[in-house]
Amino acid sequence: MAQSSESPFARRALNLVRLGFNELTVPVLAVVTALVVGGLVMLVAGGDPLLAYLGLWEGAFGDAKAISETFVWATPYIFAGLAVALAFKGGLFNIGAEGQLAMGAVVAAWIGYALPGVLKIELPAFIHIPLAVLGGAFAGGIWGAIPGWLKAKTGAHEVINTIMMNYIILLIASFLLNGPMKDPNPLNVIARTPSIAESARVPRLLPDLRVHWGFVFALGVVVLVWWLLYKTTVGFEIRTVGTNPNAGQYAGMNVAWITVLTMGLSGALAGLAGTIEVTALNYRHELSFSLGYGFDAITVALLGKTHPVGVALAAILMGAMRNGATRMQFLTQVPVDIVSVIQSLILLFVAADVIVRFLFRIRTPKQGDAMMTRGWS
Amino acid sequence: MRKLFMLVALLLVVAGVACTAAPTPAPTAAPPTKAPAAPAFRVGLVTDVGKIDDKSFNQSTWEGVQKASKEIPGVTEIKYIETTDPKDYDKNIAQFADAKYDVIVTVGFALTDATYAAAKKYPSTKFVGIDQFLSKDKDHPDWPLSNLVGVTFDEDKAGYLAGALAAQLSKTGTIGAVLGTDVVPPVWRFGEGYRAGAKAINPNINIVVVYHSDVGFDKTFTDPEWGKTTALSQIDKKADVVFGAGGKTGNGALLGAAEKKVFCIGVDTDQYLTVPEAKGCLVSSAMKLLTPSTFNMIKAAKDGAFKGGLYTGPVGLAPYHDLDAQVPAAVKTKIQELDKGLQDGTIKTNVAPAKP
Repeated sequence: MAQSSESPFARRALNLVRLGFNELTVPVLAVVTALVVGGLVMLVAGGDPLLAYLGLWEGAFGDAKAISETFVWATPYIFAGLAVALAFKGGLFNIGAEGQLAMGAVVAAWIGYALPGVLKIELPAFIHIPLAVLGGAFAGGIWGAIPGWLKAKTGAHEVINTIMMNYIILLIASFLLNGPMKDPNPLNVIARTPSIAESARVPRLLPDLRVHWGFVFALGVVVLVWWLLYKTTVGFEIRTVGTNPNAGQYAGMNVAWITVLTMGLSGALAGLAGTIEVTALNYRHELSFSLGYGFDAITVALLGKTHPVGVALAAILMGAMRNGATRMQFLTQVPVDIVSVIQSLILLFVAADVIVRFLFRIRTPKQGDAMMTRGWS
Repeated sequence: MRKLFMLVALLLVVAGVACTAAPTPAPTAAPPTKAPAAPAFRVGLVTDVGKIDDKSFNQSTWEGVQKASKEIPGVTEIKYIETTDPKDYDKNIAQFADAKYDVIVTVGFALTDATYAAAKKYPSTKFVGIDQFLSKDKDHPDWPLSNLVGVTFDEDKAGYLAGALAAQLSKTGTIGAVLGTDVVPPVWRFGEGYRAGAKAINPNINIVVVYHSDVGFDKTFTDPEWGKTTALSQIDKKADVVFGAGGKTGNGALLGAAEKKVFCIGVDTDQYLTVPEAKGCLVSSAMKLLTPSTFNMIKAAKDGAFKGGLYTGPVGLAPYHDLDAQVPAAVKTKIQELDKGLQDGTIKTNVAPAKP
């Protein structure tokens, strides 16, 4: 009964729960506040918020198919969210996830269709799938590492460079998909590659649902990133450099190398977001497939407090809202844009958590949070 | 401050009640059970990525559905879903199909494969694919399906009429056209039809046709600045009628013509309504008549006359609106003649289906 009789293990577990609860308070309240404000917007616009949210719920979790689609939606958010979160841990703001994702998609699609289709190399699935997935991740990693290297070498700020890298790859992808990599079917007018070979397709989990092994893989990567960040030397170095590069340097860490590595890993994760969409869902790269996963990923990472598990939860929430929007509109004819409004509100309330803390009278934690990103110096 | 807090707290309580109350009405919410004596006949529409009030394809098609609900007795319910992401095409169609809607209309070329797949999966539902060309090929091995109609248009005929109108209105003997990329077959057919129509009126006319093929797909239809400067340079070279065809790029050309006070001709839908800034110059638009096409298909489905396959929807010129007085009666008569000739096949545009 008495506190002293608690085993150290139980106390640690309790502390962990309490910590988790504290960490969750602001994000959860941010989501709730955003939903309430979104409901008010719907009321003003003449919609029925209750029926709309019911539709949102049904569409996202109403039956097996809905849940499957939610996981399909969540998958790219998990990868891209992890990418942004990992960079944040390293003190870097990766706005280039959208471009790294496109890079991954281009390379994965090429490996998927061109190896058998153009180069006539037939591969068994157990080689072809990993090759396409890792190829996409590697390509995204390169695209992320370049701004990392520029930062380490010249001090050029990664925000500027990742944005510029986005333009470069998105225009290259546009060129490739309209030109050399375009689906040669004469009826095709869309900028897209041919379908990837059967042997490069990540299988589905269940025969009739679209949820695929890529989602399971994403959850595995969540654990992997957590392990990397908190259980390895490299992870410790990434977090140290992220908090205070001078301290890292003083402790003998190679700050330049860690910066390149962080951006490279971040880019690889973002590359996986594009890769899995190509190999497990669309079976081709279509230019318009990503409607800003790389940018929504910033919301996901912040909502998840840049912790891998938090990112996974936030990604599933975002996926659920995007997925449920269809059912919501079907039931109530409330425009699907309301979901974007709610997402933006979530970002606002998470980023400016002062608002939420004020509204719900939550004390600011005494010890300062780790710095998200470093300044412009 | 305190009041604000109270308000939010109150709203939270309301939201909480809503959440707990939510699951109960769920099963009854989906099927509308206010069944009259006649069986329900329901029509659903799935947009391409974009909004229902885009003043273009989505909107014109939806107007066809609305017209059907007003004018065809027995159409009991119409609804639409706006697509936000291409990967949702199947799911959005399934919303209607699973709810046993009678007719599902899908808007735009991009939904071709999704519509085909849904038509196979739901054989008792009728599907109308707007602007969707299908043929028996690797991706569509079972075409034609008895419950799927692909609605296509003869853009070359619409372009032909626009060209004929432009050639007759021109005083300088030079006319221009500003278009999206010629890689997209419908755009090519509009542009070359325009050329053919103008030549048919005046074989010596000087026609400047410029396609925006120098940029990617993401840009070619969304570059109003380029459209405007291109139109202005054509006007500098004495063009006094400009045909703008290619999304926002074409709309930019209309604005250029409006600025220089020469005639302009729009595309796809009646752009007098969609680009009000161009009202002063817009003499007509080369239209794909989506609204009547959609209406006709729904009517066929309601009357049991629905036949699977391709359906060539009507095309035509939009009303002359404000510039009606500036179009001589002889020109109007000539356009009517040509329209009739194109429809009954006595006039051929001789435009290839796609850029060779």
